[in-house]
Amino acid sequence: MTTETQTTPVAADTAPKRKRRDEGWSSLLWLLNRRLGIGLVILLIFVAGSLVLPFFSPSDPSQQATYMKNLHMTTKHWLGTTALGQDTFWYLIFAVRNSLLLGIAVGIGITIISTAVGLSAGYIGGAFERIVMLFVDTFITIPLLPILIILGTLIRANYAYLVSIIIIFGWAWNARTIRSMALTLREREFINMARFSGAGTFQILTREIFPYVSAYMLVGFINTVLFAINTEATLAVIGLSKVEIPTLGSIIFWALNYNALFTGNVVWLVAPIVATVLLFLGLFLTSTGFNEAFASRRGVA
Amino acid sequence: MIRLNNVVGSYRTGRGSINAVDGVTLEIPDGCILGVAGESGCGKSTLMKLIYGDVLSPMSLSAGSIEYGFTDDRGTPITSDNIKREWFRRISYVPQSSMNSLNPVVRVGKQFLDFPGPDADKRRVLEQVKAYIVKLGLPVETLEAYPHQLSGGMRQRVMIAMATFFQPELILADEPTTALDVVVQKDILLLLMELQEQMQNTIVLVSHDMGVHYQTTTRMLIMYAAKAVEYGDSESVFSAPLHPYTAMLADSLPTIGDDRARHGIPGRPPSLWQELKGCRFADRCPLATARCRAEEPELIEHKPGQFAACHYAGQYKREAEQPTWQ
Repeated sequence: MTTETQTTPVAADTAPKRKRRDEGWSSLLWLLNRRLGIGLVILLIFVAGSLVLPFFSPSDPSQQATYMKNLHMTTKHWLGTTALGQDTFWYLIFAVRNSLLLGIAVGIGITIISTAVGLSAGYIGGAFERIVMLFVDTFITIPLLPILIILGTLIRANYAYLVSIIIIFGWAWNARTIRSMALTLREREFINMARFSGAGTFQILTREIFPYVSAYMLVGFINTVLFAINTEATLAVIGLSKVEIPTLGSIIFWALNYNALFTGNVVWLVAPIVATVLLFLGLFLTSTGFNEAFASRRGVA
Repeated sequence: MIRLNNVVGSYRTGRGSINAVDGVTLEIPDGCILGVAGESGCGKSTLMKLIYGDVLSPMSLSAGSIEYGFTDDRGTPITSDNIKREWFRRISYVPQSSMNSLNPVVRVGKQFLDFPGPDADKRRVLEQVKAYIVKLGLPVETLEAYPHQLSGGMRQRVMIAMATFFQPELILADEPTTALDVVVQKDILLLLMELQEQMQNTIVLVSHDMGVHYQTTTRMLIMYAAKAVEYGDSESVFSAPLHPYTAMLADSLPTIGDDRARHGIPGRPPSLWQELKGCRFADRCPLATARCRAEEPELIEHKPGQFAACHYAGQYKREAEQPTWQ
């Protein structure tokens, strides 16, 4: 036995502890490390705040001229008001919610598509893989931002449209990474053993390869959320998203257009930037924290 | 009784087709432990793949057939065509490196339950699995562990438990003890022998270690350059080998109490790419004559139960007459 005693589960005295660990939510607690903890706390504040608080909003924050313009921070308007007469705090809350929902929608879409495509291409191989990878590589070479700028100029449709566009032009890279994982997995002995024990292709994909890549998928999902929020913000800042809807990018768009920096309403511009940075930090810490936690489960770290 | 009729296993490559197993005809009696030995590239692994029915492109069973001597649930005799459906039920496989044969991110118990068994009630199966691994000398907690938390010997025991759980008629073990130290190696081999005695099934064991073969097997198959050169009861194959290759192989191994210098077999096995005429061992054989180079020897029964493919079977004079294998 080469493993150190603290990770050796076979000692009889550790058995009851291990048993408790497997019951419900507490089984996930052992994954926690500091990085993941901080990341999750930040994310929890953002998610809970942006999903719950809008129900207590005194008015629709995107409605212009609800309040006086350019008010300073007071107890009534925590972050002051914008040059358009909106409450900055409530506008920000709605912006975080919309950006997060967009990010999650894109993240789910891209994760499902890229996992299905990547796993099947990598594991099945042959002509199927070559045809699929032709599409994947084509989509990878298409530069996303110019395409989005062109499409954004042409069509200003709803958010579902934006979500699907980001998914269509964003899934390929993840598919390629997952395929490369599946490629190495295909040659692993435990996949052979699964095959030798009579498991079919679908069973191997779902029961052997999926648990292996699921940790990566979670990290990939978080990174995709980041990527989607980022992309939308970029489009919004240059005015190509649907800027009437509050998002992290559209606040910055309006604040820049109304020269918030020079009119003294610095909070209008700084608040969304701070919120974006914090959100990204939370997502980043969660993603790397998960990485670390899963590595320790595999016995790497 | 497992019957191999002139089995040819070939690989299709860019340079053409090559026969890695070239016409092997054997009868493996039920309830024996058959050892397969030979140097790297002699076709051992290909033969195992053929017997297991794991025939994937570019490999193919280009001639011959295998009859397994047992039937499936509906009574149809099992041949090389339908063996795949019996994987891990009537035929199973113990892999070479148990280190990599378990999914590193799935708990051992879950991997057990993932096997497509006949019983749908997972809880009942789990109870049976628990009882079984305890019988095999593993603690129950093993099922809760991830593979990296187990030692090499425990992992190999887990693999053996998986391979024997459905009590298969035939178990193929491809160098099951290669990565283990000698103490654990002995435990694993004893476990395999014990299980074989209880289940009265057949084990085919591939190993480079002649000591393992001597201790474990009841019958031996020696392969050379894609051919079976000697086949018989382990005792007679070890004590009175008929083929010069077997004899030289035996002489090249150290024995306790014998401190004479050991000799390897000079030369290399022939490339399977070239046209092979006559006996494939002729270039390295001290007994080779013009007849050996022209006429290929058949695997025939020279003594009761002992087969050899040599024109001059039993005529090679060994250095040590009575080796004591340890």
